[in-house]
Amino acid sequence: MISFSQVTKRYPGGHEALSGVSLAIEQGELVFLTGHSGAGKSTLLKLIAAIERPTSGVVSVSGQNISRLSRRAVPYLRRNIGLVFQDHKLLFDRSVIDNVVLPLDIAGFDRRESLKRARAVIDKVGLLNREKAHPVSLSGGEQQRLCIARALVSRPALLLADEPTGNLDAGYAADIMAMFRDFHQVGTTLVIATHDERAITALGGRTLHLDHGRIGEVPA
Amino acid sequence: MIGWLRHHRHALVTTLRRLGTQPFTTLLTALAMGVAISLPSGLYLGLGNLARVASDLPAQPEISLFLNVGASAEQKQAIAARLKQPDIEQARYVPRDQALATLSASQDLADITAGLTENPLPDAWIVRPQASSREALVRLSDSLTKLPGVAETHLDSQWAERLQAALDIGRTVVWVLGGLFAIALIAISGNAIRAQVLARRDEILVSRLIGATDWHIRRPFLYLGALQGLLGGLAAGGVLAIAGTILQAPVEHLAGLYGSTFHLLPPNGTEIAAVLGLTTLFGWLGAWLSVTRALHQVEAAR
Ligand SMILES: Nc1ncnc2c1ncn2[C@@H]1O[C@H](COP(=O)(O)OP(=O)(O)OP(=O)(O)O)[C@@H](O)[C@H]1O
Ligand SMILES: [Mg+2]
Repeated sequence: MISFSQVTKRYPGGHEALSGVSLAIEQGELVFLTGHSGAGKSTLLKLIAAIERPTSGVVSVSGQNISRLSRRAVPYLRRNIGLVFQDHKLLFDRSVIDNVVLPLDIAGFDRRESLKRARAVIDKVGLLNREKAHPVSLSGGEQQRLCIARALVSRPALLLADEPTGNLDAGYAADIMAMFRDFHQVGTTLVIATHDERAITALGGRTLHLDHGRIGEVPA
Repeated sequence: MIGWLRHHRHALVTTLRRLGTQPFTTLLTALAMGVAISLPSGLYLGLGNLARVASDLPAQPEISLFLNVGASAEQKQAIAARLKQPDIEQARYVPRDQALATLSASQDLADITAGLTENPLPDAWIVRPQASSREALVRLSDSLTKLPGVAETHLDSQWAERLQAALDIGRTVVWVLGGLFAIALIAISGNAIRAQVLARRDEILVSRLIGATDWHIRRPFLYLGALQGLLGGLAAGGVLAIAGTILQAPVEHLAGLYGSTFHLLPPNGTEIAAVLGLTTLFGWLGAWLSVTRALHQVEAAR
């Protein structure tokens, strides 16, 4: 489903965030991405979603070469990807439910159906009683759960989660990881960047380790 | 198809909500547009009414017919007979002595005529033709010129022609002003939309990240521009209606002094529809120009 071949990403300014990364992730796999702060985890996820383009090498997702993807094609790629951002990227001028329903609006779903789906997923992340609240009034952990709900609402085939449990206490972190496992069990491909060792051991799955932009497989 | 309709309905709802959340800005922009458009359209209406006045006035064209100094008595008789035909409503003979006397009587010319040793003026007829169309007048005037003993004719419809020329200039001014104010409209709309795009940069960037197409992002702004243009057109209508109400009484009073029952006519349905359609179009155009640029800015600053 995802393959990197000799991918290097150099940001403007010259910093090389990824160096010669090659990897392959099959459909339906659950993959953890670990590494120190600044190792290049977020960069790797952004390359998959075509938020950044590789400086050299080839990134391909579902058979599409990301570097060659036209501007017009990018939105359709992203609609099949659920993104949990490290910095949440919520819209602060609309309510919880309106934030969650956004991807469905963009994809042109029927409004009533969208709201039903949004409510179901908000319930799953435990925010149902905050449905009408605005994100500013949510705690860091609640904002994170909201971001997760928005990523899951369109039932994407691929979920990219950047530190999804970073701000969560152990209880919620376990709940979220359990949700991810459910998604994994129905065939969703998941790539999760995390420091959460407990989650990794609890869920099993494959672990890729980044060190200063170079990748290595961690033996299970 | 259903998805497409849904996208448009969604964009329209979004647009209306945005307009509703900023009633003051919306109102100000519509007012600025309205005042801008009311100038050329007001001038257009004024000219239309003036042209109506002009066509109502009796035109009374006259042909002056000057005889040869040496015209024979038979020639003069033949001319007088010709001028009794039914295509002539009225003809008045002005002998050269009488013409000179009239000239001498007028203050400014008295000095000049006093210095004359002989009368340079020819005998003349002042003819009022039956016809009033310009072509018929020219034809009659030409045929009279060909009569033996006639030196020249002079067709006097200058007053009507001058008014017509002035109205033509006025119409040109309307078009030029219309063009200028269309540009102003595009600028006003573009500016308002630019502010909107920049105010919504977070929403735009996030929408992009979760799969919004260029069109999805543009659409509400384009609707906003078009709707704002329509509101501007309506505002112009309001401005003109108020102006018309204020002017109605004095205009009728003035017309009354001339013994006329003239009153101001409002624009017809086609004209109203044309103005609203054009303002909507130009509002949309301004939005289109500015949203493309502003989106580039927003995304470059990411
Ligand atoms: N837009 C950018 N411009 C320049 N440098 C960047 C940019 N984004 C990331 N970097 C640099 O690239 C390197 C990798 O960043 P990245 O965000 O991928 O790290 P990370 O593994 O996600 O770290 P963390 O665990 O702290 O989130 C860092 O040194 C960072 O400073
Ligand atoms: Mg990161």
